Amino acid sequence: MRRIGFVSDFLDRLFRRLPALPPLAALLLTAMAATAEAAEKIAVFPDTPYDGFIIHESLVIFWIAILGLIVIIRMKLKEIERTQEMGADRENGDAPLLE
Amino acid sequence: MNCPRLKDWLEERYDLNAIKELAKGKLIPEHRWDLWYYTGGITMFLFIIQFVTGMLLSLYYVPHIDFAHKSIIEIVTKLNMGWFFRSLHHWGAQLSIVFLFIHLFGTLLTKAYRKPRELVWVTGFILLGLSIFFGLSGYLLLWDERAFAAVRVATGGAGAFPFIGWFIKAFLRGSMDVTGDTLVRFYAFHVAILPLITLGLVGLHLILVQAHGMSVPLSLEKEKRREAPFFPNVFYKDLAVWLVVAGVLATLAVFFPPEIGAKADPLAPPPEDVKPEWYFLFLLQTLKLFPGSILGLNGETIAILLVSGAILFFFLIPFFDRKSSRGEKSPVFTWIGVIYLLYFLTMTLVGFLS
Amino acid sequence: MKLKYSLVTRRTFLNTLFGGWLFAFFSGTFYALMRFAFPTLGKEPDFVVLNKKDFTDLANNSIKRFPWGGTVGLYFTKTDGSVLALKGVCTHMECNVDYKPAEKKFYCACHQGWFDENGRNVAGPPPKPLEVFVITEEGEKLIIAKKGVKVELPKA
Repeated sequence: MRRIGFVSDFLDRLFRRLPALPPLAALLLTAMAATAEAAEKIAVFPDTPYDGFIIHESLVIFWIAILGLIVIIRMKLKEIERTQEMGADRENGDAPLLE
Repeated sequence: MNCPRLKDWLEERYDLNAIKELAKGKLIPEHRWDLWYYTGGITMFLFIIQFVTGMLLSLYYVPHIDFAHKSIIEIVTKLNMGWFFRSLHHWGAQLSIVFLFIHLFGTLLTKAYRKPRELVWVTGFILLGLSIFFGLSGYLLLWDERAFAAVRVATGGAGAFPFIGWFIKAFLRGSMDVTGDTLVRFYAFHVAILPLITLGLVGLHLILVQAHGMSVPLSLEKEKRREAPFFPNVFYKDLAVWLVVAGVLATLAVFFPPEIGAKADPLAPPPEDVKPEWYFLFLLQTLKLFPGSILGLNGETIAILLVSGAILFFFLIPFFDRKSSRGEKSPVFTWIGVIYLLYFLTMTLVGFLS
Repeated sequence: MKLKYSLVTRRTFLNTLFGGWLFAFFSGTFYALMRFAFPTLGKEPDFVVLNKKDFTDLANNSIKRFPWGGTVGLYFTKTDGSVLALKGVCTHMECNVDYKPAEKKFYCACHQGWFDENGRNVAGPPPKPLEVFVITEEGEKLIIAKKGVKVELPKA
């Protein structure tokens, strides 16, 4: 059975703390929003629903890109660890040159 | 990337192997608390984002009292994605200060400041001061009612320093009161002076960290542990963490774009319930604790002296904490660290809620 | 048909996937940055609307400048009283031209270019004549338009 590498360990520990994020974030954000002054409304976000849709759609695509990259990084890390455990990543200093 | 011709070109001119060996030598220990190692990098990543978004915004912002407020409104309403870059810059600032404090208290409580890493702490502490000043100077550039009032309070407070207060106040403000001169001066600090000093100090801070290697908490020093090579293993993990941070930042920027208040009027009274940025709240609350006069002396002056003393002590902790420099457990200083953290959190919360 | 051996190594596959995804990610980011850094650059207007009374009773053999988008236009009253509207920008290197009433020519100081009363380039480096506009009047308004443009005034 394969030993669980430090990749899954790391990602596990990271994601175990993840559920703590939303409630903390919500608390922080409501607190921040409460102190923000509701001044005369200058449109800090595009008005039209068409633009709003595009922005939210772009955000979703952005997240998909990020998560895709993280998946690829995880794949790369597993491969790196596989070769490292095999000892295949170190150069053999006295390998003869093919002259 | 495999470009053998490029590699050969470089290798004929530079000793790449020396650099490679140096890079291979960077090892990151693995233990219970190793997630804390990522906090410094996240802070740096957020600062890089601030530099980039700041440079973009500076293409359009005008630092003159008649145009500052208007230029921001133009950026937000008229430019392609202007609102987004401004929102990124705002949230980048908030998050970078949050992570800066996480990094600060992380290194404090794990005693990463102990010998031989005192200078890392010193450079880091100066960077903390610079970052706070970044926040203050950037905030005034809005030139709306809140910002104006907040900066007046902050520079006025600095003026309450005994002996040198008037000097600090005049230097920061550029004149007797917060005026157009203050705006130009803060702009100069924010886009030129502070970035250059920060770059230098961050460079020094990073070089020192590479020289010393990663610190391991005292309680775990004796244990045998695995060490992962930074290149490529931890580098990729860092990248993954940074990507998540970028995602969170973008999400915050899209869903909570910051408002901008009415243009500042130096003659008008400040708006109701004006508060400085959240990272100043604990200072404000501390000042509020002190009565107007204590034993005939000015209460505010005493408050400022005490707060400065506390901050100075905080700065010098590596030099006071003899036990940890000897490699011994130092529970007193752990408690001191916890007290500082709790005080900071409590006073900030009180400042929010009042 | 199942292949006996893989076409690429694991390393190549992973690195290409990573690199390609990174490239797409950063090009998207970069595109957003560029759109912000390069705002919609000012287009030249098709026509401008001026007040007629600002352009009546002008002296003969003189020019009156008017704004044309971000540059300057010239409202030229000839010696015989007829009017001509031209773009006051030299066709050589885009410097602003001036009118010399004594010589009855337009002069560009940058490289000593000369244009005659009808805007034709007569001396110096300018390769083409000055652009001439079409003048129309609508009630109290004077409309100066590019040649060939159909002027549609918004229903104010």
